[in-house]
Amino acid sequence: MKRATILWMLLAITAGFGLFLLKYEVKSMEKLLTEINHSTIENLQALHVIKAEWGHLNRPSRLETLGTRLLKFKPVKPTEYVQIRDIPFRPQFQQGNRGKTRLAVSKSNPPAVDQSPPPLLAKNRRKQ
Amino acid sequence: MIGRQTFLTRRRRRESPVSPEVETGRNRLLITGILFSVAFSIVAIRLVDVTLFVKQSEAQFSHSLPKDFLPANRANIIDRNGHLLATNLKTRSLYAKQRLVSDSQKAANQLAQVLPILDPSGLFKLLNQDRDFVWIRRHLTPKLQNKVNRLGLPGLNFIHGEKRVYPAGALTAHLLGYTDTDNRGLAGIERHFDQDLRSRQNALKLSVDIRVQQIVRSELESAKTKFRAIGASGVVMDVQNGEIIAMVSLPDFDPHFLTGLNTNAHFNRATLGVYEMGSTFKIFTTAMALDSGKVTLKGGYDAKRPIRIGKHIIRDYHPKNRWLSIPEIFIHSSNIGAAKMAQDVGSRVQKDFLRRIGILNSTSLEISEVGSPITPGRWGKTTTMTVGIGYGIAVSPIQLSAGVSAMVNGGIFFQPTLLKRSKFRTKKGMRVISKKTSKQIRQMLRSVVVRGTGRKAASPGYLVGGKTGTAEKVIGRKYKSKALISSFIGAFPMHTPRFVVFAMLDEPSGTKETFGYATGGWVAAPVVGKVISRIGPLLGVRPLDEKSPEIRAKMDLKIPSRKKG
Repeated sequence: MKRATILWMLLAITAGFGLFLLKYEVKSMEKLLTEINHSTIENLQALHVIKAEWGHLNRPSRLETLGTRLLKFKPVKPTEYVQIRDIPFRPQFQQGNRGKTRLAVSKSNPPAVDQSPPPLLAKNRRKQ
Repeated sequence: MIGRQTFLTRRRRRESPVSPEVETGRNRLLITGILFSVAFSIVAIRLVDVTLFVKQSEAQFSHSLPKDFLPANRANIIDRNGHLLATNLKTRSLYAKQRLVSDSQKAANQLAQVLPILDPSGLFKLLNQDRDFVWIRRHLTPKLQNKVNRLGLPGLNFIHGEKRVYPAGALTAHLLGYTDTDNRGLAGIERHFDQDLRSRQNALKLSVDIRVQQIVRSELESAKTKFRAIGASGVVMDVQNGEIIAMVSLPDFDPHFLTGLNTNAHFNRATLGVYEMGSTFKIFTTAMALDSGKVTLKGGYDAKRPIRIGKHIIRDYHPKNRWLSIPEIFIHSSNIGAAKMAQDVGSRVQKDFLRRIGILNSTSLEISEVGSPITPGRWGKTTTMTVGIGYGIAVSPIQLSAGVSAMVNGGIFFQPTLLKRSKFRTKKGMRVISKKTSKQIRQMLRSVVVRGTGRKAASPGYLVGGKTGTAEKVIGRKYKSKALISSFIGAFPMHTPRFVVFAMLDEPSGTKETFGYATGGWVAAPVVGKVISRIGPLLGVRPLDEKSPEIRAKMDLKIPSRKKG
């Protein structure tokens, strides 16, 4: 036989064997994919149930009863609102060497501890 | 290929004649060679075809899951903040192949022990038939399924199915509606979007805020109990785009257990029920009078004597017996004044105005229970007057809320909607009154709460404005003075309104606290006040100082009490 023939035969055998391996590789990967899909669906369904349960546990009527019973929560009153800029700085910050702006604030806004809290609505009005 | 080549070369080389046997042999060889080469080329072509080109018909064994894979056959419904309102859960349904059941009596007894809801004799009848299929029980929990399996009864089997579940239960019952055992939408959103919910991948987002819904429901519920009303309804609407934030109708029902339901609980008072609203209609009457230029705030009407039209007499509940200015008519809710105002406006303008704010046609709300308003057939002079004070025309709470939204938001009417509108696709509204008229209406609504009939709706810091409405119900063919529809429609904060809040009680009775009164100002206004003080923080409305000079400059109204000149 000629060399070329041997070469072609070798190539054919290699290709065949390669394809054979590839096929098995693909098969095992497909199997893996199916397994992953299965577990994904299972997890998604579990998640779905958990979300439904979460929605159920989080229903406002339940939270309302739990909040009032266990945490003694009450609806917020309008007078209990304050803006960030209306909250005075903590006393220790004012005492430190923290720059003029802070000192200026401390002058205009004496520490809340020293006096009864100012009426919040009145403060809001001034800032608006 | 190799063989053929040698064969051809040989043939060319050969010139001398050969014996016929050899010739025949060669010819046969040639034909065989051609056949083989054809066969091999087919194989080669097929090889290329199969390996290189992918065809549709090819069986692919595994696909990766689509990104938007849904583990259910019906899309979820969520509220504006993403809180789950409706979802599908996998369940198992138990059925029997009666022919395979060996001992029906034993099977019936054992099943009835596991499933106490079923009675043994009925089960026996079911199982003893000579048939192939019967449902025993739909939608079993995994626990029950396990119990049934452990009985080991032949002929019983399960089918996987799905059941619609509403985590918030009765709270959203009127809004979402419900589905049947086969998950077909039968009411509410479920019915209106039935096809859509089956096909869509992502959840359906509503404009409703479940927290606000809960607050409105709990406040209405306590008012309903307190005043022994037969029903109640409440609406919270965003005035800037018509989105409904909460919509409650009481009594309601548990959408999971629909057996033994009563029609009262299933009747949606917020959308399907239409009511003569009474004085709240004076908002529209006043707005159209001011907007058409027939009157100004300085104008007024003589309210000394009741008006007699045919059998009916229009009289005031809080008679002042003098000339009343427009703001006074509004604040004291004078029927005589409002009727005269409506008369001045005229029936054509009135009709046209009411049509533009969606009062005369049923709303395009996205649920299946939408009531058509009851409008007068003949719109004569009398009708104009009665409609002006909210009688002779019946509308749903949603329609009223949408109409009042347009009155306070600067004069733009938006169709009410239950779907969350995206920031980029806001629906355009329609101008119905001028900005100036809207401002005047706001000032008057505010005055009603500051010094008028709606004082109980005040919620300090939220600048509430509104109007009370008390109407007698028609029972049979007569107005019954003991059966009232008491309502209050409010908006807040009144200098730049963001939300309209409506509360209505159906046939309330007065209590000691209310001195026996069951009017809108006594029973419905407090509900609105309480609701606003609770939902204000949730909806991001900052409380402000109602007595500040800026607010007073915007809201205070000069109320003339004497006729000029």
